[in-house]
Amino acid sequence: MGYIKWALILIFWVSVASFLHYTLPQHDVARITDTEVRRIDPGENRWFWASADAGSDGTLSNRDVFFISAVLSDGDVMVYRNEDTSWGWPPYFKFDTSNLQAEAADLRSTSANPQWVVIRHYGWRNEFFTIFPNAISVRAVDGPEQRIIPWINIVILTVLFAFFWAIFVRWRRFRAARIDPVLEDVEESFDVVGDGIARRGSRFKKWIGGSK
Amino acid sequence: MLALGRLLVIGFLALSVVYICLSLYSRAVRKDKLEAEWDEEIREGDRDAFIKAGLEDYDTSLRKKLILGVYVVPLSLMTAIIYFTNFH
Repeated sequence: MGYIKWALILIFWVSVASFLHYTLPQHDVARITDTEVRRIDPGENRWFWASADAGSDGTLSNRDVFFISAVLSDGDVMVYRNEDTSWGWPPYFKFDTSNLQAEAADLRSTSANPQWVVIRHYGWRNEFFTIFPNAISVRAVDGPEQRIIPWINIVILTVLFAFFWAIFVRWRRFRAARIDPVLEDVEESFDVVGDGIARRGSRFKKWIGGSK
Repeated sequence: MLALGRLLVIGFLALSVVYICLSLYSRAVRKDKLEAEWDEEIREGDRDAFIKAGLEDYDTSLRKKLILGVYVVPLSLMTAIIYFTNFH
């Protein structure tokens, strides 16, 4: 039983962590090498694609999506999709996809003459499911050693922690005040009933014994 | 715009649940505090009347109106995010 309990706890916390890691914004220092449009047909990976542009028909099974190819400051390549999140999840309320694509195209550069940018994005790149992080914004920076302090994440995680802590503390207080006494009551009455049964049992035994 | 409507309706319903729970909880906390105040400090006169008067004060207080922040804060946050994501 202990293993199952720990496995469930582990699964829960891993899910929470991956959910936050997927949804919260992250920053990459990169160099944009190309911007393009590809037609995509979401299949098993449809969860990892956002919606069609706000206002357009979202019921069609495939559509064109903007892509931004980049080289990260450590030399790895990364490909971002550039999609509206519209009014849906995650709540970035991004409607300026086409404008962002224009900005990204403007900041394109070659390795000979690099123009470094900070790309804010959420999501994961995974080759096995063909999923891409969604770019939220780009801004030009001076060099690849740009230091980024994730203020938004610090604020969100602090508020989230405070919120759940507040609920947890109140729940514990409520439990101590209202539920535990009732459970103890029930336990006591079980004990009383148990004693009664034991007494009656012994009387029964005595009676049996006496009749012999 | 259908998506916006859906978000607003679902958001309103979810926030209403939060608002109602928070209102009930806040009033209960106030009542507990009034009871404790009477039991520890006042101990004279009509206990029920004291608590009733205190709760009536609470019903018109600023503190109760602050719970409307449950609706205001997410809506302002949403507006701010829309501005900073798209127009900044």
